[in-house]
Amino acid sequence: MEAEATPTTAVSSSGGAAPVPPPGPPAKKKRALPGMPDPDAEVIALSPKTLLATNRFVCEICNKGFQRDQNLQLHRRGHNLPWKLRQRSGKEARKRVYVCPEPSCVHHDPSRALGDLTGIKKHFCRKHGEKKWKCDKCSKKYAVQSDWKAHVKTCGSREYRCDCGTLFSRRDSFITHRAFCDALAEESAKARAEAPPAEENGGSAAVGPPPAPPLTQAPVPAAPVPLRQQPPPPPPAPAPPHRPVQRNEPETNTPEPVQFAPPQAAVPVLSQTSAAAANVSASSSSSVAGTSQSLIGGMFAPSSMAPAPQFADLGGGVSRPERALPAKPPSLCLATDASSSIFSAPAAADRQQFAPPPPPSPSPHMSATALLQKAAQMGATSSSSSFLRCLGLDVSSSPGASSSGQQHHHEAMQASLPDTSMQQWPQRMEPEPSPMLSPGLGLGLPYDSSGAPVCLPDLMMGQSSLFSGKPATLDFLGLGMSPTGASASRGFSAFIQPIGGAVGMAGIGAGAVETFVAGRGPQATPCERNSSTSPIL
Amino acid sequence: MMQFTHTAPPPPPLHPNGHGGLGLGLFLDVGAPRARPWPGSFPTPASKISLGNLNSTSCMEQLLVHCANAIEANDATLTQQILWVLNNIAPPDGDSNQRLTAAFLCALVARASRTGACKAVTAAVAAAVESAALHVHRFTAVELASFVDLTPWHRFGYTAANAAILEAVEGFPVVHVVELGTTHCMQIPTLIDMLASRAEGPPILRLTVADVASTTSAPPPALDMSYDELGAKLVNFARSRNMSMDFRVVPTSPGDAFTSLIDQLRVQQLVSDGTEALVVNCHMLLHAVPDETAGSVMSLAQPVSLRTMLLKSLRTLDPNLVVVVEEDADFTADDVVGRLRAAFNFLWIPYDAVDTFLPKGSEQRRWYEAEIGWKVENVLAQEGVERVERQEDRARWGQRMRSAGFRAVAFGEEAAGEVKAMLNEHAAGWGMKREDDDLVLTWKGHNVVFASAWAPS
Repeated sequence: MEAEATPTTAVSSSGGAAPVPPPGPPAKKKRALPGMPDPDAEVIALSPKTLLATNRFVCEICNKGFQRDQNLQLHRRGHNLPWKLRQRSGKEARKRVYVCPEPSCVHHDPSRALGDLTGIKKHFCRKHGEKKWKCDKCSKKYAVQSDWKAHVKTCGSREYRCDCGTLFSRRDSFITHRAFCDALAEESAKARAEAPPAEENGGSAAVGPPPAPPLTQAPVPAAPVPLRQQPPPPPPAPAPPHRPVQRNEPETNTPEPVQFAPPQAAVPVLSQTSAAAANVSASSSSSVAGTSQSLIGGMFAPSSMAPAPQFADLGGGVSRPERALPAKPPSLCLATDASSSIFSAPAAADRQQFAPPPPPSPSPHMSATALLQKAAQMGATSSSSSFLRCLGLDVSSSPGASSSGQQHHHEAMQASLPDTSMQQWPQRMEPEPSPMLSPGLGLGLPYDSSGAPVCLPDLMMGQSSLFSGKPATLDFLGLGMSPTGASASRGFSAFIQPIGGAVGMAGIGAGAVETFVAGRGPQATPCERNSSTSPIL
Repeated sequence: MMQFTHTAPPPPPLHPNGHGGLGLGLFLDVGAPRARPWPGSFPTPASKISLGNLNSTSCMEQLLVHCANAIEANDATLTQQILWVLNNIAPPDGDSNQRLTAAFLCALVARASRTGACKAVTAAVAAAVESAALHVHRFTAVELASFVDLTPWHRFGYTAANAAILEAVEGFPVVHVVELGTTHCMQIPTLIDMLASRAEGPPILRLTVADVASTTSAPPPALDMSYDELGAKLVNFARSRNMSMDFRVVPTSPGDAFTSLIDQLRVQQLVSDGTEALVVNCHMLLHAVPDETAGSVMSLAQPVSLRTMLLKSLRTLDPNLVVVVEEDADFTADDVVGRLRAAFNFLWIPYDAVDTFLPKGSEQRRWYEAEIGWKVENVLAQEGVERVERQEDRARWGQRMRSAGFRAVAFGEEAAGEVKAMLNEHAAGWGMKREDDDLVLTWKGHNVVFASAWAPS
């Protein structure tokens, strides 16, 4: 029999036994390939409510609920009630795929749609739903009842314990571990040291009395390996190699040798998922500083440790960024609370920036780079408020992102700006004399009309129109008249003005975006295919 | 300002804070779809341009493609700009999509720094990339043993291969397994275990391991232990299972089609008395052997790729079984954009999969994602012999094996059953299906890894 990839084979659990498979077209056989959705497939987007709905169709006789009317109708037959099944028309045979309504989800994209209704329901439940089902034994939580059932069936029943204390739920993992674990080396070294053949079964289960603890035995790497070794004399009574160990009978009947790792050390491996959940918030924020994170961040952004005058770097001619930007209005315009409004309720991070002494971590100087970054970060944290959206690139949206999350993100972004990279930008600023059109937001983005695939500038243009709101504009004007005057206007207002002028440029931006979208080539997903015909804004 | 509003008819005042009106056409337009009920189907013809949101995979893929194009066109400015935008929308600590994109971004930076164009400007960055690349975790054997079981990515192949091997060597008193793999014999303990408990009693196991650690671009994971030590542990383990085993390491390289290894095997084959079953177990290493796109060599007056040559020389060894486990993807496109698309549409899977069970900060997840990152970097930024991630899809491998003189051996019910049982203990998204005679590991219906078994035809 063929195993299905998604949990689709299992009949949806919450509704009890569904008498027949859903009458929908059998979409499970052939799924969309990654990036290459079946062009014939009908992409269905169901609302979260529909996806979470359970048993909307209730039998009036026995109160049994069904997820689908068709199933209820079939059930009604059993009560000798009138029933009516919808006939499937030929047209319905069209393949259907389902996207997840959560915009940040990988399956929100039609190219990664799931192949059947049960699959998308379970997916939505698992990934975006509440985990209501908790295992009494190990406290693991599940959003889908059938997952929970499957877990409970095996939880604690099949575990293997290595002499080093590590527990395994799967035999193959255990065997692999066992082969490389020092505990085995110790044991076999000891076994060889003592003449009588010790019980060596590759995995002395914890329940049985283990061989005498090798207390004095140092971890001995295996003796020199003869090329073809004769097997040792077989043990007299080879015990069943790996006995399942009940999780809840720990030390009592397992006289563990002292030097072995205490069992607690092993348990986390198993309960990791649940236990670690608590750590996520803390660790995820701190660990990002690690490896690859800082790496790319380092490209573009001045580090918070060295509060570099970003703006000076950017603007080239600007004297002192602190002067040029006494307050940070631009950040206001980009208030991060994307889920409600870009202009409303500036997040705490933004308010913070009005305080005269610049706080350490969020960069006080709102350089153009920082501006864009902020905009981009809004897109990054809250999928719904991408800055591409103002170009009409984004239709869907969700109220998902919390502003606190955004703020955190904002700070992370800002904090990871090393100044080295900023130097990459200035050159492009200066040669552009026209304050109005030139440096799309002062970022040195080529806004060239020559016809090259200009996608980014357009993003920037669209971006800038974010600022075109009334208060924002005022702020910008105030900025433009900042004390530094001339020098500031050279660098700073050079990118401020395009902001004000963004409206005038929106047309340009829009046109260019069409090229961007249209030029995306043959693998455009269904929703992109509309691009050429739809208005941009 | 008002020119915006002609494209966006004033929607209901979604935002009560007085910003409606002037210049906000754009913004309100943005808000409008939110108020819309969920569309019954996708795409709605009347909807506005939809690249998805910025988080959407297609949008990120587009930006990556544009960036790759800019790099190829030597447009340093544009490259930086796109890199910059990508950097902002794809934080490496974001969701799985963003992390995926971040890995690609990283690889593109590496490429930009290596291919002339943007060399100067990205030199500093490149240094950072390089230094990060050096920071590859070296696993202890025990660590690696649990690492390979995070997902069925490797275990799937192990399980399928072991079952096929067990079947193929039935009755042979001596079993010679040639291990061509990237995971440092992590498959062997379970193989030992199976052979040791087979009905007719344990065979003598001879294990020849290809050690490619010294070659350039040795694929991760890296092992913090010499193969001699590793072998000692395996032999010790075999002994504990009452099986005798010998372990041999042959330093070799996929870059020359494992010539040194093949030569040794050939010599052994000459003295073989026929009581020994020869099994070649290729676990995700064959793709490192240069294919046609990496150039060819002359063999019998015909230009063939090293990959073809290797398979043909494996055939001349007349093995009882050759197991080929590979990722079911095609990273052999000549152009970087083609590879980028292929890799992007394949490597989301591991990110998505670990996202289901490992917290973002977890060390194992970092290792896991670093490994994928290495892969992405190799696919995108490396060329020539250094580019060893030259995966081909299942059909192509089948073609190659058949033209090298092999026939497919179907996996038995037992193999399929064991794989299924193993998958049952992993996340629900994993599945298995049969395609032709092969077994294919799937994630949410998408092909991930295939296992195929071959015997001389």
